[in-house]
Amino acid sequence: MSGTRTRVRHVYVHVPFCHRICPYCGFYKHQPGKTSYETFAGALTNELRFALRDCEVVPRTLYFGGGTPSILPGNVWRGLVEGMGREVDLSGLEEWNLEANPRTFDEAKAAVWVETGVTRVSLGVQAFDEGSLQVLGRDHGPEDVAEAVNALRRAGIREVNIDLMFSVPGQRLADWERSLHAALDLAPDHLSTYNLTYEEDTEFLQRYESGEWTADADRDAEFFLLADRLLGEAGWVHYEVSNFARPGHESVHNRAYWAGADYLGLGPSAVSTIGGARWRNLPDTVRWVGQIQGVGHARLDGESLSEIQLGMERMALLLRTSEGVPRSWVEEDLAENLIGEGLAEWRDASFVLTTGGMMVADEIAAYLC
Amino acid sequence: MGTELTRNFSIIAHIDHGKTTLSDRLLEVTRTVAEREQQDQLLDSMDLERERGITIKSHPVTMSYPSRDGKVYKLNLLDTPGHVDFSYEVSRSLAACEGALLLIDAAQGVEAQTLANVNLAHQQKLVVIPVINKVDLPAADIPRINHQLEDILQMPAEEAIQASGKMGIGIVDILEAVIERVPPPPEPADTLLRASVFDSVYDSYRGVVSYVRLFSGRIAKGTKITMMSTGKTYEVKEVGVFTPRMTKLGELVNGDVGYIIANMKSPSEVKIGDTITETAKPAPEPLPGFKEIQPMVFSGIYPVSTDDFESLKAAVGKLQINDAAFTFTAESSAALGFGFRCGFLGLLHMEIVQERLRREFNMDVISTYPGVVYELTLSNGQELHVDNPTLWPDPGTIEEIREPLVKAFIMVPNDYIGEVLQLVAEKRGWVDHTETLDGTRVMLTAMLPLNEILVDFNDKLKSSTRGYGSMDYEHAGTQPSSLVKMDILINGEPVDAFSTIVHREKAESRGRDLAKRLKEVIPRQLFQVPIQAAIGAKVIARESISALRKNVTAKCYGGDITRKRKLLEKQKEGKKKMKAIGRVNIPQEAFIEVLKSSTSD
Ligand SMILES: Nc1nc2c(ncn2[C@@H]2O[C@H](COP(=O)(O)OP(=O)(O)O)[C@@H](O)[C@H]2O)c(=O)[nH]1
Ligand code: SF4
Ligand SMILES: [Mg+2]
Repeated sequence: MSGTRTRVRHVYVHVPFCHRICPYCGFYKHQPGKTSYETFAGALTNELRFALRDCEVVPRTLYFGGGTPSILPGNVWRGLVEGMGREVDLSGLEEWNLEANPRTFDEAKAAVWVETGVTRVSLGVQAFDEGSLQVLGRDHGPEDVAEAVNALRRAGIREVNIDLMFSVPGQRLADWERSLHAALDLAPDHLSTYNLTYEEDTEFLQRYESGEWTADADRDAEFFLLADRLLGEAGWVHYEVSNFARPGHESVHNRAYWAGADYLGLGPSAVSTIGGARWRNLPDTVRWVGQIQGVGHARLDGESLSEIQLGMERMALLLRTSEGVPRSWVEEDLAENLIGEGLAEWRDASFVLTTGGMMVADEIAAYLC
Repeated sequence: MGTELTRNFSIIAHIDHGKTTLSDRLLEVTRTVAEREQQDQLLDSMDLERERGITIKSHPVTMSYPSRDGKVYKLNLLDTPGHVDFSYEVSRSLAACEGALLLIDAAQGVEAQTLANVNLAHQQKLVVIPVINKVDLPAADIPRINHQLEDILQMPAEEAIQASGKMGIGIVDILEAVIERVPPPPEPADTLLRASVFDSVYDSYRGVVSYVRLFSGRIAKGTKITMMSTGKTYEVKEVGVFTPRMTKLGELVNGDVGYIIANMKSPSEVKIGDTITETAKPAPEPLPGFKEIQPMVFSGIYPVSTDDFESLKAAVGKLQINDAAFTFTAESSAALGFGFRCGFLGLLHMEIVQERLRREFNMDVISTYPGVVYELTLSNGQELHVDNPTLWPDPGTIEEIREPLVKAFIMVPNDYIGEVLQLVAEKRGWVDHTETLDGTRVMLTAMLPLNEILVDFNDKLKSSTRGYGSMDYEHAGTQPSSLVKMDILINGEPVDAFSTIVHREKAESRGRDLAKRLKEVIPRQLFQVPIQAAIGAKVIARESISALRKNVTAKCYGGDITRKRKLLEKQKEGKKKMKAIGRVNIPQEAFIEVLKSSTSD
């Protein structure tokens, strides 16, 4: 029977709890209390078990995102890992990620993560300057970040990522430069640099729509180029539009997404794509728990993707990466137009965007599709 | 039977001076329409006519009036289109009459259109009866109007009748004056059939209905007739008069105004101004005054959505059935897709057609910058008429270009003469002569290129005279002119929809203006997009849309991927509505946006 089932190598787990809700954040998240952590963890295990009916899950990467997965108490975490470990074989994991916010864990908790197998922690930092941190409504300062990184390193986390954000209202180019330097000073292995996006249903979007804040593609470009230059000089690889790594430390899990691999998503709002089918889980923790306990799953919006759609996605995603797309995917004359403009180049058998091209990757994808 | 009890007349007036109101009152007084049935503005039957207070089609009506002299008269009132665009139709309607009532608003006085109409009436040798209308108005100033009559129109003031269509004052005086002063239709020299067609409509039940005035002979059901301009023959199926509804009669005779229905298939078989005669005993010569109507103003009309081409095709076809002066031929534009090159009698006619397409046919259309017909003499001696910039020949082969002129009558309060002179100069015109009217106003007679008054002349006249200036014009031949074809190039390629014929001296400012507007509406692209205005190879204005600097989704993980794809699918769909110009894609809306703003102001 196992021969007919799709083998899934990548699992995403959504942990929706956050102590404080950031005014720009578009993820499904809420403060703890709607359901106990234990109940939540139990439901995740049940959901995984149910999923195994239709697919084989042998994870190479596991990614706990949120929300704030680091919020979960050590014992709950341990129980969750044990429960999942009973359903699937976690011994083949190459990368086990966990998103964490400063001030939600200490060295002891990080040690539990390491002990259970976590290899990589992604820290939600966003900024090091006081102004941006305040606009973003973050409850930590630069010292908290340093302390968090130290705790991770001491506990033995192999890889540390820091998430940063640019084009925050009020942020100046100099602020951004200082944040990048401050991040580099902490010697992480990976940096994600996100252009602030005004997401639906956020306070930020309201302030943007009211005209209080404005978007400016030229300013965005300045921030983007600064990160590219500064991190490039430091020897980092700009391997995806919003991601930099020290060579050899690229995120395996994320690259799997971009290469179009199948993935199983667990937890409220998580998305899965398996064998051309895509669905999303109910974005409501309480109802998600209820449905898992009742019918074993809480899937919504199921769609089956055509080859064309999957091809479009792969094209759009890979164009964002330093790997690029195979030469045969692009029309020669369109490609040459872009190359002539300095937006892309041929690299061996691939068509790869330059930094300038990365900045307009959405346009380019539309141009080539 | 003689014609001494028949009177054929029309009413001429500047817009809003009360023509429709007075006509309705005449129908009421003569009990042509029972009071019960009467609804305001009975003669303006097209919605658009009612709303805009203009008459587009003719609306003849036959009234029966027992005069003070004890005899019952047959009065034929021909309501005519009041606008210069339809001056040929007006001239045909007036030619069907022996007299005209000239209405002058007692408060407004003589206006530009009043004069143009009086000129037309005199050309047709009509007896003109001046009527000072709206005397009920508190602002009525009869002594002033009397002066104007004598000074401007050279008519004895004592001939004027004071009236108010609205209050029913002077109506009987008007009817009596028509009987006394307008001569009856003249006795013809022979009994051969001569009927002049002054309008026609297409009725889906009855077919082609021709509106006629008989100058001699008689016509009845069964008469075999010949249209003299085409030589085609038909058999009459029905004749009758307007009361104002079509009312069947046994026959129409010399002097009558009415309609005939013959076995014609297509509305194009009847031409306004043509003479109908009897096939068996034809008149040796047609009645004078016939000419083929030629469109004066041209513009491309395109569906906003390219999918609507077929419906637009059906719509223009249907429109033409009742508007023979409107012409169209299919054309295609690289920027706008498939559409039609349309010809109009003038600006108002163009507006009316556009408006009817929108209203009666629910079409969402866009029109290109209007142009006129240029007469070209080529170096090889060939004569050419060009109504479409895309057909403009290589400038090297052109010997001479002539553009149509108009003679404009501009009435303006003394205080604004300066502004109007400036406007005329700006539009490449010159003032031929100036007449002082009544101490407060002057009338400027100016010659202007038709091309220059197409778009915004009237609006500018109104705004620079606080609404007091009024204008009318007549076509006045052509003049040699230094005209060039200006192209707009986007990314180095000419965009046909924006090519225009302009005067050399105006090319640069117009080019700069268009380039700037295009820059505003064309979204930034992956590539820098140069926009140029050029005459031949010479660039006269340029703008540049700088390349888009940044447009990329920040996060592309699990749930973001669907969103990203949907965006792509939308962009792909949107691309279908774009025009590829070299390596850039420009949304059609951008072109439409610019065409809208450049043809409306
Ligand atoms: N006070 C007054 N107003 C009138 C008279 N005749 C017409 N009007 C008004 O003048 C306007 C234009 O009238 P209309 O008959 O449509 O003028 P047309 O454009 O010449 O056909 C309307 O608002 C009428 O009500 C009149 O005798 N006295
Ligand atoms: S940004 Fe992170 S910490 Fe803030 S609300 Fe969103 S998930 Fe929670
Ligand atoms: Mg009217």
